[in-house]
Amino acid sequence: MAAPAIELSGLSKTYRNGVQAIRALDLRVEAGEVFGFLGPNGAGKSTTIRILLDLIRATGGSAALLGLDSRRRGVEARRQAGYLPGDLRLYDRLTAREQLDSLARLRGGVDARLRDELCERFGVVLDRPIRQLSKGNRQKVGVVQAFMDRPQLVILDEPTSGLDPLLQAEFRELLRETAADGRTVFLSSHSLDEVQHVAHRIAIIRAGRLVDVDSVERLRERAVRHVTIAFAERVEPRAFEGLDGVRVEGSDDRSIRLSAPEPALDAIVKEAARHRVVDLVSQPADLEEIFLEFYEERDGG
Amino acid sequence: MAAELFRRGFSDHRRALVGWCVGIVGYCVLVASIFPSIKGFSGFENLVQQYPAALKSLFAIGGDITTGAGFLDTELFSLMLPLLVLALAIGSGARTFAGEEETGRLELVLAYPLRRRSAVLAKAAALAAEVGVVCAVGFVALAALDGIIGLGLDLGHLAEALLGIAVLGLFFGWLAVALGAAWPSKVLALGVVAGYAAAAYLVGGLHDLAGWLDPLRFLSPFWLVGQAPLENGFRGWGVLVLAAAATAVLTAGAFLVERRDLELP
Repeated sequence: MAAPAIELSGLSKTYRNGVQAIRALDLRVEAGEVFGFLGPNGAGKSTTIRILLDLIRATGGSAALLGLDSRRRGVEARRQAGYLPGDLRLYDRLTAREQLDSLARLRGGVDARLRDELCERFGVVLDRPIRQLSKGNRQKVGVVQAFMDRPQLVILDEPTSGLDPLLQAEFRELLRETAADGRTVFLSSHSLDEVQHVAHRIAIIRAGRLVDVDSVERLRERAVRHVTIAFAERVEPRAFEGLDGVRVEGSDDRSIRLSAPEPALDAIVKEAARHRVVDLVSQPADLEEIFLEFYEERDGG
Repeated sequence: MAAELFRRGFSDHRRALVGWCVGIVGYCVLVASIFPSIKGFSGFENLVQQYPAALKSLFAIGGDITTGAGFLDTELFSLMLPLLVLALAIGSGARTFAGEEETGRLELVLAYPLRRRSAVLAKAAALAAEVGVVCAVGFVALAALDGIIGLGLDLGHLAEALLGIAVLGLFFGWLAVALGAAWPSKVLALGVVAGYAAAAYLVGGLHDLAGWLDPLRFLSPFWLVGQAPLENGFRGWGVLVLAAAATAVLTAGAFLVERRDLELP
């Protein structure tokens, strides 16, 4: 079986000022996945990524890319990895073309055709100094350099910041193609929206710990629906309270508002059918909500 | 692949380098063109001999200031030329690693498949090339002026003089690179190295007047390369020691850079 694209075991990092950025992370990302790495700002996402790229050193545990230890065989590992930093800083005086040429030489040469194709696809402004480019146009240069060597693993830290919606769609398409090609995308973000339409699995990290790892479908299943039922007559909300996983959020004379996970919907409909139903609205699962729940749940800790 | 960082380092400072070369050539032309009016003026020689010993020692005024070599040793090689080359070397050395780290540009570069120590060495090589270019330009300018104005210089001594300054620049420049590699602060690298250079200059100039400084002269790169190089040539073994020290310092920096976290701006 092929080595996982990323494998973290017991990975910890305590900075010199005593801040414990991540604590004993265990994570396995398989080859060919688009993997979302979600968490609020300061949760430890960039710390994890920078350890993977050997920019900073773990204080415990280990990290491997494509089966190669990030420290001992870092150069070999990075030869097959592309990276887009969360805070991209380029050489302002160079044009985008010069910058990409320079980075290509730093890799020991890349397929110019693929690079040109990516530039065209994202509309990179090639011949103006980078200092004159908008944030979005700089970010495009960052995207192109991360993908231009057709890496086995692409590590992206908050990649779509500054990209307009049209390009974000193009970008998601690029991620899908990459995964379809058997290559792996590790996508870090604080916004669920950035990853939920493209990631196969999502890990949620908070205050340096993994809170949950699951497929997007399963997360969606677990997410609560908001069901509003209007009746032709007065109905006691208590009847619904007894159902598994169902919470009554409110009720008035002839309508009831419930929240419930997907598996409970059947029981709700059957209970409601005992009365005359005027209207029934079930709002689609909102991942954002469970995501926020994950964030908030442990806020007291 | 790290060769690209050499290229980048050198060409990023290209414009500044042209400026330094123009400045140094201009200063050489200015100083040399004053010489003909000093040459025959014996009163000047007498005046200079009455300067306080400390002043003469500090600015290497010892030889015959009415000869081309003695005049340029005093006016160029005692302070201004080393100062200019050092300012270039220390500034560039602090900027090339610590400075780029502080601006966040190293983040992407070091995520590419190369070792940090190779990056440090490539950048140090670029700095050596800059110092080399400036000193070569200085040599050519003074050799040309010698031909035009008739300074009566010994070209062998002139080459030694500029080689001495080049090694001086290399030492302080690489020290700044190494400090920046070991510790992520441009200001620290700049400050420590400039402070050391200033102290070393004083020790090199005054060690024989202030007796207690005398044992410290070996720590002064200025003393190691020798004073009044156009008249006396450089101190050969001292230049070798300094070149070895520069290499040792850089090696230490390349070793230490592997042991720390790369900082974000």
